[in-house]
Amino acid sequence: MTTPYLRIRNLTKRFGDFTALDNVNIDIHRGEFVCFLGPSGCGKTTLLRAISGLDIQTHGTVEQDGRDISALPPAKRDFGIVFQSYALFQNLTVARNIAYGLENRKQPKAAIQQRVKELLELIGLPDSGHKYPAQLSGGQQQRVALARALAISPGLLLLDEPLSALDAKVRVHLREEIKSLQRRLGITTIMITHDQEEAISMADRIVVMKDGRIEQIGTPLEIYHQPASLFVAEFIGAMNLLPATRIGHGEIQLGSARLACAVQGYEPGAAVRAAVRPEDIVCTGKTNGHANSLQAEVHDLEFMGPFFWLSLGGGELGEHRLRAQLPSQRARELDLRPSEAMHLHIPAEHIRLFPSSYSHG
Amino acid sequence: MVAPRVRPRLGRDEWLMGGGLLVLALYLAVTLLLPLALMLAKSVQDREGAFVGLTNFAQYFTHPALSGAVGNSLWVSALATAITIGLAFGYAYALNRSCIPFKGFFRLIAMLPLLAPSLLSAIALVYLFGNQGALKGWLLGESIYGPIGIVIGSVFWTFPHALIIISTALATADARLYEASESLGASRWRTFTVVTLSGARYGLISALFVVFTLVITDFGVPKVVGGQFNMLATDIYKQVVGQQNFQMGAVVSLLLLLPAVLAFFVERWAQRRQISSLSSRAVPYHPKSRPVRDLALLGFVGLVALVILGILGMAAFASLAKLWPYNLSLTLSHYDFSNADGGSWASYGNSIRLALYTAVFGSLVVFVGAYLVEKTRVAKPLRTATHLLALIPMAVPGMVLGLAYIFFFNAPGNPLNFLYGTMAILVLATIAHFYTVSHLTALTALKQLDPEFESVSAALKTPFYRTFWRVTTPMCLPAILDIAIYFFINAMTTVSAVVFLYAPHTTLASVAVLNMDDAGDTAPAAAMAMLIVYTSAGVRLLHAGLSRWLLRRTQAWRQQGR
Repeated sequence: MTTPYLRIRNLTKRFGDFTALDNVNIDIHRGEFVCFLGPSGCGKTTLLRAISGLDIQTHGTVEQDGRDISALPPAKRDFGIVFQSYALFQNLTVARNIAYGLENRKQPKAAIQQRVKELLELIGLPDSGHKYPAQLSGGQQQRVALARALAISPGLLLLDEPLSALDAKVRVHLREEIKSLQRRLGITTIMITHDQEEAISMADRIVVMKDGRIEQIGTPLEIYHQPASLFVAEFIGAMNLLPATRIGHGEIQLGSARLACAVQGYEPGAAVRAAVRPEDIVCTGKTNGHANSLQAEVHDLEFMGPFFWLSLGGGELGEHRLRAQLPSQRARELDLRPSEAMHLHIPAEHIRLFPSSYSHG
Repeated sequence: MVAPRVRPRLGRDEWLMGGGLLVLALYLAVTLLLPLALMLAKSVQDREGAFVGLTNFAQYFTHPALSGAVGNSLWVSALATAITIGLAFGYAYALNRSCIPFKGFFRLIAMLPLLAPSLLSAIALVYLFGNQGALKGWLLGESIYGPIGIVIGSVFWTFPHALIIISTALATADARLYEASESLGASRWRTFTVVTLSGARYGLISALFVVFTLVITDFGVPKVVGGQFNMLATDIYKQVVGQQNFQMGAVVSLLLLLPAVLAFFVERWAQRRQISSLSSRAVPYHPKSRPVRDLALLGFVGLVALVILGILGMAAFASLAKLWPYNLSLTLSHYDFSNADGGSWASYGNSIRLALYTAVFGSLVVFVGAYLVEKTRVAKPLRTATHLLALIPMAVPGMVLGLAYIFFFNAPGNPLNFLYGTMAILVLATIAHFYTVSHLTALTALKQLDPEFESVSAALKTPFYRTFWRVTTPMCLPAILDIAIYFFINAMTTVSAVVFLYAPHTTLASVAVLNMDDAGDTAPAAAMAMLIVYTSAGVRLLHAGLSRWLLRRTQAWRQQGR
């Protein structure tokens, strides 16, 4: 195992009585793309500002490439940064913006110009060097900010919600662009975002944060399919969370139905929360050919184009409500109508249990 | 185990910025805090410097001739304030909420008094209503020398100050409120009182206190047209310049400080409320034409404008008439000053120098200072302290500052004593006197820039001063120009602080107006006052031209400010 490029140990940041970061530990490897994901106020921005030295932590250490940078001012660290607001220098042309960090290094003019030209090509704006930032679209400005940060070839790239000021289409397009740029350059990158879709589609690993603590670190697949806590389960994607009781024989009782699932760690009789993703519920219609099935009524149908949202209740579910995602094609085959009873199959491996005493908020 | 607390290491930027901030704090302490503190001390000392507690205050209040000034100052200022606010509200209402023609022209006319020292209106009043006045009969036998003159003169020169504040309050309105009021069947009068007046109430309160403070601390108008009528501000002058009673001067100064400090806090409170009362979802209100109302308002605005022009015109004419009122043929001889007592072209030259120095050094200190206060990443307590220091001048009347400077810089043991009686002390006093508004202007401009410029700059390993010079300063240039012109015009027109501080070789044009008028050379006094007006107007025009040129030059990157 190689030593991590960025080692964050016991990082704590307090503002008076308020603890913004509580004993955070993360290892980030060279060339990795890591997203800090969480709701606003979770501490992700504070963590980024501690890593950059813009707001230094109260306790704990940050090591970059084997060097302890915990207490260094930003100018003594090795990183490039892109902000949500872009923070482009509006009175300088695009080319001067990109050259800004290079001009201070006493490089020959021709070398600077060459580098600026390369970067403009890299971001797909080869002819915009003479323009001012205000003459560019939001997405173009964001790419210029990226080029400016990359110009000095930093070892670490920090992206502070870089896409959230853009409209949806541009955002999706820039996601791919930033990701492919990052892969091509192999630069270690940290991006903070509150958009789970963005994190899932871009990151090699995601750090989910809440109230200044890390809830889970993992690949997008791990985070999505094996959420480590109720918070992660709820925060990432859509999730049904139903109160249930652990009974014997590796089963839980949900309403009047008994379902098999992994029950390790729970005593028989314990109250639990069963987490099931809507797309993991299989509708079998009138037929009931599966184990791990239950019967319920369709309360409501919402057509979303490629799929339907089903709102299910009654039957074996009783008072509980379940949302399921049903592909449109399958719905056509089943000829679904409201208030019809039907059978649902929930594969055991797609049911995850969480303690029901977990308070969330 | 508890990890040890991280002690951030400071880089070159942090040292330089923190150091700069410290220098600024010391500068403000020396030119502001220490003089004021010394004056507080003087008010509880006798002439020999021994501590006497509140004896001076007791003495002041038991002396009827002195304490009468308190009552006089209060009621005259209250009356002048009421009239000014009434007129300014009507004027601002017409400019912002009606469809009268020539709005730009009327706005311009209303701003003219800003170009003149407050003395000018008083001199014009003497010509209009004095013993040989053109319109003496209008006063029905009353004398202009006394409260009447002080009130009219004060209304003239404080009018634009009130207008600016009230206009700002009326400029932004939420059209949805008017639609709601109308659709609920409210009468126009009710809409006016419930929506318009309450929407502008913070502006009105703020203007009320500002004008009251301006009047009660003003010295020029009561000096020229006050006659035997005692006011606090003229009292200080008499105590200090006339009787050399510095302790009593300090006592009166403290009394003057009270309304000014109160006004300061009310102003800040009102400004915060004003901003928050307009939500971002508001729909801008556009006045609709209503012929009867518009015509009435046009008449009112025209009348006010006419009075302003009349007073200015009177001063201009007085400066040109050969021998008022006997020989009204025109001459430039009053602009010669060689025969006048108390003024000369040299004082005009001194004023220009003072205004230039103040504009250049003042904008430099203020802008760099505001930058350090806003952008320094370290030394938070020092930033807050410096910002608070920068706000003090707003609450300190010029006369009080001037007197405080005497105490501080003329103290025998002070190593800065060499500044006393030089041009430098006048520049320092004027910068200090007008620091707050300039500081706030600079802060506003800096706050409009992206807050992460400095972070980006640090990430790019570029020293902060380079970004300050290449990005921050060019982007704030319009605001810097505004600050410079503000300093220049105020340095040209101010009397209050500098009247205690000038020396024979640093006499100033504005003080010369005062002294010539005092010596009976009223026509040359009017001439000098008009010179100040012409100079201020010329510089204003230059500023407008420069700003326009700058805007055109930088249009490429200023368009669609996002």
